[in-house]
Amino acid sequence: MTDTNEEMQALAGEYVLGTLPLVQRQDVERRLASEPLLRAEVAAWEQRLLPLTALAAPVEPSPALWPKISNSLAVNLTPQAVAAAGGWQRWWDDLRLWRALSGGAVFATLVLAVLLTRQPSPAALQPAYMVVLVAPQERTAGYVVQASMNRQLTLTPLQGTAVPGNKSLQFWTKGTTWQAPVSLGLVQPNQSLKLALDKLPQVEADQLFEITLEPQAGSPTGRPTGPILYLGRAVKVAM
Amino acid sequence: MPPTADGFDYDAALHACALGDQQALQRLYQQDGRHLLGVALRIVRRRDLAEDVLHDAFVSIWHKAASFDAGRGAGRGWIFSVVRHQALNALRSRERDVYTDDNDALDALQEAQDGQGDTVAEQFELQAEMGRLNDCLNHLDSGKRNSIVCAYVDGCSHGEIAARLNAPLGTVKAWLKRGLAALRECMG
Repeated sequence: MTDTNEEMQALAGEYVLGTLPLVQRQDVERRLASEPLLRAEVAAWEQRLLPLTALAAPVEPSPALWPKISNSLAVNLTPQAVAAAGGWQRWWDDLRLWRALSGGAVFATLVLAVLLTRQPSPAALQPAYMVVLVAPQERTAGYVVQASMNRQLTLTPLQGTAVPGNKSLQFWTKGTTWQAPVSLGLVQPNQSLKLALDKLPQVEADQLFEITLEPQAGSPTGRPTGPILYLGRAVKVAM
Repeated sequence: MPPTADGFDYDAALHACALGDQQALQRLYQQDGRHLLGVALRIVRRRDLAEDVLHDAFVSIWHKAASFDAGRGAGRGWIFSVVRHQALNALRSRERDVYTDDNDALDALQEAQDGQGDTVAEQFELQAEMGRLNDCLNHLDSGKRNSIVCAYVDGCSHGEIAARLNAPLGTVKAWLKRGLAALRECMG
């Protein structure tokens, strides 16, 4: 697009103000995905005008609204969803899950391949917990995590992840009662990783795992700072 | 914007949503659902539609939480803008825009006929807690100020602002354009 700065500022302002007709609104929304300057102008206007929301008097939502929202959260990988589906096996077998994750067969085959190659392992190495790490936006599966009873953990990539040269992937986990995520270290893109969780408690149901994009040397704060690329919760495998 | 003296951590709640924590979404809803419904209702003007907007906005917040960059510390603003744009899209898709882009020559003519210091009756009571925005809006002349607030709070189109403020369409467009530019300068 060839807007001058001033035109772009005006467009962003009227978009946030809400005066643009639908067609122009949709045009701006399309452009936001690919135009960082426009996105920055819109964000600045959102911030400038936000205090005006105080002029709208609060209105109590009807009691039926939250349950309706909750029902609409559709396919999610929370333990509640697994329990509701009748436990791990049912959940694992549920075709809707696979469709939601990746559009199906290719991914399912990959996971089966991963599972089958592990089959001859001794009992102690059988995965006790599994986590499918999913890209939050596309809902595609990026990694599978398997944790065994003897605290061995493997991270297996299911698809290629492009990482900018000055960035790294960092692997994190957080138990349900922990204050903050703990780093499990940096991850080489597209390579499997084996870890011994010596210093951490045994993996538990619902434990969160995520991979974030961080500075090359890893998060400077010891907490996730970059965007979440993949995330999921641990589910006990019924063997 | 109501005070957030209770220290509710919006960024943390959004991060938890991104990790699939439905209770975090519910906490956001409990925290701000009534304010957000108020904002949506002013824009779409019908209770049932406003609740639909809030529903769709929360589902969207749930799915988009991971794309929100928590580092900016602006979680609350992000949530309000998701709801506002949901409401504006609902409003604009309901109305056939009768005020299609009219020709600029006519606008210019109307503008020329318009006195410089025209004042309009105040439509809104601004609040001191709005801080710098309040100061900057008060520096604008009344036409510009009321056009901007009417659009933002009530979702007024150009035509609706013209009708409410009893001003020609071309003038309203000029007020908005210059008002926004002045506001941007004032607020930095």
